[in-house]
Amino acid sequence: MTLNVLICDDSSFARKQMARALPPEWTVDVHFAGDGVEGVAAIKEGKADVMFLDLTMPNLDGYGVLEAIRREDLPTMVIVVSGDIQPDAQDRVKALGAMAFIKKPIDADKARTVLAEYGILTEA
Amino acid sequence: MSAHPAILSEDQRDCYQELTNVAMGQAADRLARLLDAYVVLPIPRISVIESSELNMALQDAGNDSSVSAVCQGFIGSGIAGEAMLMFNDTSFASLAKLMQYTGPLDKHAELELLMDTASILIGACIHGIGEQLEIHFNQGHPVVLGQHCDMNDLLKHGNNGWDRTLAIEIHYTIEHANIECELLLLFTEESVKTLNKKIDFLLD
Repeated sequence: MTLNVLICDDSSFARKQMARALPPEWTVDVHFAGDGVEGVAAIKEGKADVMFLDLTMPNLDGYGVLEAIRREDLPTMVIVVSGDIQPDAQDRVKALGAMAFIKKPIDADKARTVLAEYGILTEA
Repeated sequence: MSAHPAILSEDQRDCYQELTNVAMGQAADRLARLLDAYVVLPIPRISVIESSELNMALQDAGNDSSVSAVCQGFIGSGIAGEAMLMFNDTSFASLAKLMQYTGPLDKHAELELLMDTASILIGACIHGIGEQLEIHFNQGHPVVLGQHCDMNDLLKHGNNGWDRTLAIEIHYTIEHANIECELLLLFTEESVKTLNKKIDFLLD
């Protein structure tokens, strides 16, 4: 079964950057969400086996998404991708259940490293 | 070529916002480490404003209260602009505490806090935007626009040699402390044409 990957970011530029940074040989279905509300809905539709999540977003921010995932026990693995590189931000998202943190601007090598580290990148 | 080069398409606006998002995060990280506090990051506001509207934009930012402000020019690769940092004057007491400033909090001490913070936030933000666009910006000397003034008085310093400008507004707050400041980046109309070309290249 093909893995579903969700990219949740309010910036279309950032979503494109993220999609381009995914390993090219990784055969996945990529889905997009423009804010946290759309993101949570997409997880419930089964579109997010793996989720790349931005933090600063309107309507529902990344912290809110992580809380919803925990509260409703939603099935997804979250990698936070954010420009908020304060040590506190990284600690907070990890405490809320995020698997990993990648700083923006996203870098393809870093994305590959993290995916490989958590055994998600199986095709490589 | 567009007849209105200073007007942004939605894709361009989005791209400026994302570049700012990354740059302001880097600046916030520097400030957070200095203050040992968490800086709350907003969604930056990107707009094209007429010089006559700057007044209003700033008044929004100043919230009618007494403010202190510093500005600093920057230039590089045919792009020039002005960064302005405004502090709500009620912020200084908390700022002094977080910076473990021990002397009396007089106007001189406030000026020092203002300059230290401005140098970090403006420097890191300009550098962050420049880095993503592969531009090296040189910064001018910071200039104090005023301390404890009304926003209207501040604006008398503003130059009006342009009609339209790209304005980037970032409203920083420090968690659990009464500290609020507004970082405003203004680019000249000529610069926006050059910037937009670089932005379009990224969007390609």
